[in-house]
Amino acid sequence: MNFRGGWALIRATWLSWLQYRSFFFLLAFGWMIPPLIYLFVWSTAAGEGTIGGLTRGGFVAYYLLLILVNQLTYAQTNWTVGDVIRYGGMNTQLLRPLAPIFDTLSSEIAGKVVYMLFVIPVTVLLALILRPELHIAPGAGLAFIPALGMAWALRFLWGYWLALLAFWSARADALLALQDTLTFLLAGQVAPVMLLPGGIRTAATVLPFRYMVSFPVEVLMGQVHGAELWQGLALQAGWLALALLLFALVWRAGVRQYSAVGG
Amino acid sequence: MYYLKLIRRFIAISIHETAAYRSNFWISVLNALLELGAGVLALVILFGQVETINGWTLPGVLALLGVYLTLGALRALFIGPSLEALAGMDGEVWSGKLDFTLVRPVDVQFLASFRTWRPLKLLDLALGLGVLVMAVVQLGYTLTFADMLTFVIVLAAGLLILYAILLAFSGLVFWSPGFLFTWLFDAFFQMARYPVGLYPGWLRLVLTWVIPVGVMTTIPAQALLGDLSPLSLLGSLLVALIFFVGATVIFRTGLRRYASASS
Repeated sequence: MNFRGGWALIRATWLSWLQYRSFFFLLAFGWMIPPLIYLFVWSTAAGEGTIGGLTRGGFVAYYLLLILVNQLTYAQTNWTVGDVIRYGGMNTQLLRPLAPIFDTLSSEIAGKVVYMLFVIPVTVLLALILRPELHIAPGAGLAFIPALGMAWALRFLWGYWLALLAFWSARADALLALQDTLTFLLAGQVAPVMLLPGGIRTAATVLPFRYMVSFPVEVLMGQVHGAELWQGLALQAGWLALALLLFALVWRAGVRQYSAVGG
Repeated sequence: MYYLKLIRRFIAISIHETAAYRSNFWISVLNALLELGAGVLALVILFGQVETINGWTLPGVLALLGVYLTLGALRALFIGPSLEALAGMDGEVWSGKLDFTLVRPVDVQFLASFRTWRPLKLLDLALGLGVLVMAVVQLGYTLTFADMLTFVIVLAAGLLILYAILLAFSGLVFWSPGFLFTWLFDAFFQMARYPVGLYPGWLRLVLTWVIPVGVMTTIPAQALLGDLSPLSLLGSLLVALIFFVGATVIFRTGLRRYASASS
């Protein structure tokens, strides 16, 4: 592992991305909208009462946190991996004394910094207008950190191994879109997971998608605690291990059968 | 009928292009179904918790979703990809390839609006219409011919407004190449899947007067529900006309500024 080279790559990518701020701000704005819509829908629905124990202000807090976490864990770089493979850009990356995942990681980290420059001020502004209600227990705040870290790693690696399927199929985009739809449904965007009806709720608890987005938010808001919390963290770690394994397998097999196109 | 013949050719070419990626096709089908399921499920989950929201019932919001999906599908079928090829990321205005489009013996606005088709989106169109039928069935009354006619008219007006806004935004690219105006619009358009009345006052003003998504989706849905005032009907036609003329002027003025991309 060449970490100094990796760091240099991250810095270079970040600096070059900052030049395209307005483009990335626009992207980040677009990604904020779906959770924002459901923020308005649920907080209007709650009105003066409560739904599933959440008040109007509770929904606002939940969705504002979800906007932040969603942005932090969204691995948008996975969309470009397929193109890099398809158009032969992988050639240059393979010749470097660095694993190509560093290229993706560096855009990932560079992107996060640029997006946050936009998303944090906007979320703060929305919080000032919409008045969320949030009480954080100290334990919940502590558990939030590993939950968030694993959520990011899981979402990144999961998307990465799916994107690597482009080694075989010319287009893996549809799979990534599928993943986005499932995330919308099962990861607490359309409604907090605890409000989902029976069967879907079970699916959401077992499948990996919730652990990529809404799980850290639920932890921070104290919606999951005690045994449920440990169970959730264990499931999250399990999915992460599986994602890592799948990535390693797909990468090895894929690179072996890769042959570039174009000149 | 030269133009109709051209459109037929454009469609044929697009079908050939799409047919090259077969596995992507099946996943796209799956994704369209899943997205539809997620949209409907979102409403079912919401109305599992509340009876009405701001005076809207489940069939009403379902009708609105149907209109939203139908408009979105029509847009993705040809307006979106055609204008995207012109003004989107790496579009012709940006790369200077517009030179070759300009020298063709066809009206540029026509070419820019009908050139690229995504035949797969016909499926989305069918699903959108399916949701509309579902909503009507849920409402439990038979539509008269006059109801249907009014609905088709206001829906066409909605489509015209949608087209006009996209055209105007594409025209703005001539002033500021590289800025993806349509993405900004997309963010707001997503909000049209719920009644405008659901959003807080300041946002409602934007969605009514600046980017009239209310006219695009809420009015056709009201027509289907049978509570459309003649004033709304007239208003929506008038707005459509004004937007279309305005957008055409913006686009053509912008086109005159075009100075290719090389130095």
